[in-house]
Parts: sequence; C-alpha cells; structure tokens
Amino acid sequence: MNNDVVIELNNAWKIFGEHAEEAMQAVNSEGLGKAEILEKYGAVVGIADCSFNVRRGEIFCIMGLSGSGKSTLVRHVNRLIEPTAGEIFLLGEDVMKLSPTALREMRAKRIGMVFQHMALLPHRSVRDNVAYPLEIRGESKARRWDVSQHSLSLVGLDGFEDRFPRELSGGMQQRVGLARALASDPDVLLMDEPFSALDPLIRRQLQDQFIALSEQLHKTTLFITHDLDEAIRLGTRIAIMKDGRIVQIGTPEEIVTNPADDYVRDFVQNISKLKLVFAHTIQVPFNQYKPMEGEDLSRSPRVSQDVDLDYLIDVAVKTTQPTVTTDENGNDVGVVSKDRLLQGIRDGK
Amino acid sequence: MAEVISTVEILEEIPEVDISDSVRNFAGQNGDYYIREFKRIQASKHGFCWTFNLGSAVFGPLWATARGLWGLFWIFSVLEMVLLVMLGLGLWGDLGIDKFNRADRLQVNYERMLDRVEAAREKGDEVGVESFQNRAASLAKARDKARAEGEAIAAGGTRLLVIAIVGLILLKLFEGWVANIAYERQYSRWRGDRTVRSGLNWSIGALGLVIILFVYVVTLVRFTFSNPPDYIVEIPIGKKLYDPIASGIDYWFDLASQNFAFLFLGVSRGIRIILDAVEILLVGTPWPVVMAVIIIFAYRSAGIRVAIFTAAALVYIGVLGYWEKSMATVALLGTASFLCVAIGIPLGVWFARSERAFSFGRPILDLMQTMPSFVYLIPIIAFFGTGKPPGILASMIFGLPPIIRLTTLGLRQVPKDVVEAARAFGATNRQILRDIEIPLATPSIMAGVNQTILMCLSLVVIAALIDAKGLGYDVLEALQYAAKGQGILAGIAILFCAIVIDRVIQGKFKDTEKGG
Repeated sequence: MNNDVVIELNNAWKIFGEHAEEAMQAVNSEGLGKAEILEKYGAVVGIADCSFNVRRGEIFCIMGLSGSGKSTLVRHVNRLIEPTAGEIFLLGEDVMKLSPTALREMRAKRIGMVFQHMALLPHRSVRDNVAYPLEIRGESKARRWDVSQHSLSLVGLDGFEDRFPRELSGGMQQRVGLARALASDPDVLLMDEPFSALDPLIRRQLQDQFIALSEQLHKTTLFITHDLDEAIRLGTRIAIMKDGRIVQIGTPEEIVTNPADDYVRDFVQNISKLKLVFAHTIQVPFNQYKPMEGEDLSRSPRVSQDVDLDYLIDVAVKTTQPTVTTDENGNDVGVVSKDRLLQGIRDGK
Repeated sequence: MAEVISTVEILEEIPEVDISDSVRNFAGQNGDYYIREFKRIQASKHGFCWTFNLGSAVFGPLWATARGLWGLFWIFSVLEMVLLVMLGLGLWGDLGIDKFNRADRLQVNYERMLDRVEAAREKGDEVGVESFQNRAASLAKARDKARAEGEAIAAGGTRLLVIAIVGLILLKLFEGWVANIAYERQYSRWRGDRTVRSGLNWSIGALGLVIILFVYVVTLVRFTFSNPPDYIVEIPIGKKLYDPIASGIDYWFDLASQNFAFLFLGVSRGIRIILDAVEILLVGTPWPVVMAVIIIFAYRSAGIRVAIFTAAALVYIGVLGYWEKSMATVALLGTASFLCVAIGIPLGVWFARSERAFSFGRPILDLMQTMPSFVYLIPIIAFFGTGKPPGILASMIFGLPPIIRLTTLGLRQVPKDVVEAARAFGATNRQILRDIEIPLATPSIMAGVNQTILMCLSLVVIAALIDAKGLGYDVLEALQYAAKGQGILAGIAILFCAIVIDRVIQGKFKDTEKGG
C-alpha cells in the first residue's frame, strides 16, 4: 500500500434495515439495484460500492445532494456507522479489525471531526468544549487549558474561552467546532458539511479561514459538502456522489472540463471556469494556428501555458493580437484567440 | 397594454370540479342519486341544505351501517330504542302496576282492620272500636290515593303513546335529512384516506341488523314487561366463581408471606435504617437548629420571598404543636423520595438505553400510577405488615413512576448529534452518560425528582391508614370522628410542608437551569 495514502475505502457498502445481510448477499449474487433491494428486503442502500483514497495533506471533497449518502460515507471512516461490506484503512491500519478500545484510541488521537450543526456541548464553556477530546483521554486540566487556548487562537477566537456556545453566533460556534477538532492534533480531519448551516457571507469567510489554516497545518481532510462551488474552492480532489454511489473522482479542473455523465454535467454547467481552466486546455497548437488578416503572432503577448483563464482575459483585453502560450523553456507552444477564449470561458474547453 | 380582466370575469372562468366519477366510485349503488345530492350539498351556503334520503328514513340505523356510518348507527339506534320503549310501554306496558299492587295490599289490610272493628264491637270495647275504625279509615284513604295515582299513570299511557309516535316520526325525518349530509362528509374524508369505508355493504348491514334486533328485543322486554325474566336483569352466575378465587388468592398470599418472610423483613429493615437516620436528623436535632437550617436553605435556593413564607409556615406548624409530627412526616417523605430517586434514576437510564426494557416497563409504570392506592395497600399489608416501612413502600409505588419516566424522557431528548460528536472523539458509553447525557437531562430529571416528592407527600395521608403515623394520622383520625377543626389544621400543616418543599426544590432547579 502506498505510504502516502491516509484514508482508503475499498468497495464499501452500507445497507440499512433488518435484512441488510441478506440484501447484501443478493447484491453480490444477483446484482440487485437500489429500488429492488428496497422492494424485496425493505432495506435502504445508504452507500453502494464506494472506493477512494485520500493522500496525505490533501483536502478531499465529497460532494452530493441531500440523501446521496455523503454523510453516511464519512461516518464509515471512524466507524460511527458500521459498513455492511468493504474495507476501510486509516493511516495503514485496518479500521474494521480494531478492538473497541483501539477504535476509541484512534478516534481520540488520530481523527478530528466537525459537524454540520456544530454539536457543541451546550452546558460547557467554549474552553471545556474544545478541551473535551483531551478530557476523554484523561489529560490534566492544565494541559487541557493550554491546548484549548492554542486551538482557539488558531481559529481566531482568543478571548472567548469562558463564554458559552449559545452566546456565540453560528459562525463562531462552528469555529469552536473546528478548534475542538484540532485540539487533539489529529492526523485526519473529517468535516461533515461544516459550513452548510451558515449564511453565505459567513460561509465564505470560514472557507477562506479554513484554506489559510490548511496551508498552515497540512491536515489530511475529508470534506463533505452539497455545494459544488465550495468543493471547487477547497478541494484538492472531488468525489461526486449520487444515490450512494461515487460517480466521478477528479481534480476540480477534471470535473469541470470533463464531467463523467449528464448528472455531473448538470452540476458543473453554471460553475465559473475562470480559475479552473488553464491555457493549455483551450489553446490551439502553435504550428496549427492560421493567423487571420491583420494578426501577427510575433507581436502577440506571451504567457505560460499554465495560466488560468482569468489571467488570460487580463492579457487579452490589452491587445488586438491573439495570445501566444509558452512552455517552461519559453518555446511557443500554443495560441489562444479571443474567440477561443470566449468559448473556453463558457464551455471550459 | 395588457387587457384588464375584472375579478368577476376570472371567477366565472373557473371551471367546475366534476366529482361525478369519484362519487360513483364511492357510493357504489345509487351512484347517480348521490352525485346529485352531494352536488347540492356542496353548492349550499353556510353549510345548510334541504335533502332527504328515503332509504335512511325508512331503515335508519340499518342504512347507516350498510353505508359504513357507525357514528350515525349508534345515534339512530339509541334514539329509536328509547322511543320504541316508550311506544311499548304505551301499548302493552303495565303502567301504574306498582301503585295498583299497593292499593291491593292496602285493601287487604283494610278488610282485616274491619274484622278487628267487628271483633271489638262484639266484645263491647268502645275505645277499641273507635281506634280500629280510625285506622281503617286512614287505610281506606291511602288505598284510594294509591288507586288514583295508578289510574293517573295508566292514563298517562296514552300520552306516552302519542309522544312516542310523534317522536318516531320526527326521528325518521331527522334520519332522512342528516343521512346525506353525513355521507357527503364521509365522502370528503374518503377522498384523502381510502381506508374510510365506501360503497354499500350488505354483510356489514346484516351485522347492524343482528345488533339492533338483539338490543331492541332485550331492552323492550326489560322495560315493558311487568315481570321480565331474571336472567336479563342480573348476570346469572352469582358468587359461584367469586368465592373460590378470592379464597385461593388468600391462600397464595399467606403462603408467600410465610415462605419469603426473610425477604420482606430484610426490605423492611433496610428501609428502617435509612428512616431512623433521617428521623434522628430531623426530630432528634433541637428544633431551633432544624428551623434555622430550613429557612437558610430556602433563602439560599429560592430567595427571600420563599424564605419568609417558609418561616411563616414553620411558625404555624410550631405554634399548633405539629412540629414533631411534621418532622416525622418529612422524614417519611424524605426516605421515600430518596429511595425513589436512588432506584428510579438508574432504571430511567436503563429504559432510555433499552427499547425492550422500556416497552416491558412502561405498562408496569402505568399500572403503578393508575391503580388506586387502597388496592396496593392490601398486598403491602399482607407482606410487610403495618408501620412506617410499609408506608414508605406504598409511597414509593406512587412516587417511582415520575422519576423513571422523566429520566428516560430527559435522556431521550439529548440531541443525537452531541452524543455522536462525543463518540467521534473516542468517548466511552460511561463518559457519554456522565459528561453529556446526564447533564443535558438534568432539568428533566429535576422535574422528576420534584414530582416524585410531591407524589410521595400526597400518599402521606393514605400511608397513615397502615399506621405510618405523622400528620396524615391526624387527618385520618379527624375523618373518623368528624373532628373538623383537627382535620383542617392538620391538613393545612401538610399543605405547608408540600408548598415549602416544592418551592425550595423549584428554586434549586431554576438555579441549575441558569448554570447549565
């Protein structure tokens, strides 16, 4: 197994209901679908045959609409939900083979989790909330106070230690949730739609704060969201879920420029391509480009072929010539005409 | 420019909802009739409509059952039955039979008295003759009065007959009118809920017929026959079953109390130990100390106003000489409540955790709360005898359910996501219970404690029945001797105890709410 892989799920299934085991067998032997399983066994398929790897330091977004099984999926990583079938590895350990004690140990030390509705303890101060994971582990009070102080300063909540959660705004509460997840300095962050319940402005602020924080801490993160914009902003890679299945895994650019099916295409249609699509995707090879009347490529501005469309626009508006792209050695490799650029902005290719 | 359309025009353009097909589906037989009638009813304003269903008017309850209108069936049949009984009484009932019987008996006595007058006259006993004659005259008067009353009642029979006939006609008109309106409502419900009965169902109608025949015939016989058969009037079993069962229960109780005497004694002794400790604390400690502690405690937990009230209540209790009895009552109550809480909270936790335990325990809790307290005093006396420990046990039977229920409720209301968060951070079940579930359920649990204490207090008077002493005994004694003053004074003392305890705990409870 690759050492760089932190979370690995192989063919994980979750079927809810009394006859889950039988339904699972029927899936294996007869290949029944979701509707047939519901009809025959009264069992609901939560996730179906999900596999993915998350590499160290990566922010891996799982995006899907409500009911697509994304929250169920993330709970398999720390076994808050037991899979009906499949393998789960975390930091090279087989999570399914852990004893209850070892599992608790792993949850306490290796994993930090943030929840959609914060799930703070209402009867405890902010400090005691953040320190709760350490309290579970039996750390001393002095240590708990030190760590929670540090953790709260990471999320910019200095001075709120002795407040109660209900005295804080939604955005601040979720920062407390994040500070709590960071308190035990875990290897992995599981974030279950952490910003979904917040209003758009606050959501954006927290996203920015989270991006800054990840650049600082490099936590391997599994991030659940129903918002493709958010997934694209944050994600190193994105998995798109539908009806319990993962339909596509890829970088934001791959997802936007090359959607796997109509479902994904629908989603990415209205996504802005400016920051996701790069010159090399839309350029015409230099030697194939036929200059039109009045065009002179020698007078064209030259940019790296790795710049994004946003940058290309800035360049293009200052000249009447098409833009020429270069490789890392400075050789001309492609041409982006204004027509091509407009098409790229709309279609992503 | 868009054409301006007036509201009226819009209203006129609204197409009519056609209910014909669905009504035909619903009604089955006579669909067209019901389509017409339902449309009329739906077109009527203010919910009133003249409509008449001949089938319902003629067959009444039978029509109602066949159409699945059970509510109407009961109303129709009860009204018809009352009127039929009146009709029966008017036609063939022996009205005034009681009075005529009485008149006959008086006649016999009167004749006997006349004989005695004759006998006295033959003896030449003038005084006797006069006295017997007077008595005979009054007997005759009574006889005539009874006969006159009987005739008056018998003459009322005709009136009864008229009322019954008029009533029956009005009832039939009512049945005919109300039928379609009720049936249209049923149809409206049926549209949303297909389990509502629809169509004409003769087999159900036949069931209605059987019920009606049975009820009408038996009732008519009972009310209109002068000598209805005994087996209608009384259930023809008597005490044949009752006696052996009652003595069997006696036997098993005796057996159990003999064989498990050690167990019952052990429980009694255990309770006694706690009770003694509490009594020494409350009764043994000098009264100024106890009073001061209670008032300060009331002040600390519930503020100055409750403290003043507490002081006044204690003065009342002290001045009227109820101090020792009150403290004995509070000790009884305290022990019962303590045991309830000590047993009830763990049980409540268990019930919250295990659905199976809860579904098994809930009917028992219901039983404990609904059973009249006098009933469970009997087994308690049988097994534990009389005195204070059995009194405490009786209080506990009443006081346990609220604390168990509210603990379970409180734990179940703990937000699932908070528990999940704790689990995600590696908490054990015990840590979750201690750090999250119990603290978050505390308001509910405290409400349970409060209710439990008040429940136990309400049983203090009843516990006095089995010699648990205290203030309840004074009330009980007052009841026996109709001693109004004693009863009311002691009753107020109990009331003060209850209010003080309630206020102090409520105050404490509000504190924890603020803190949490």
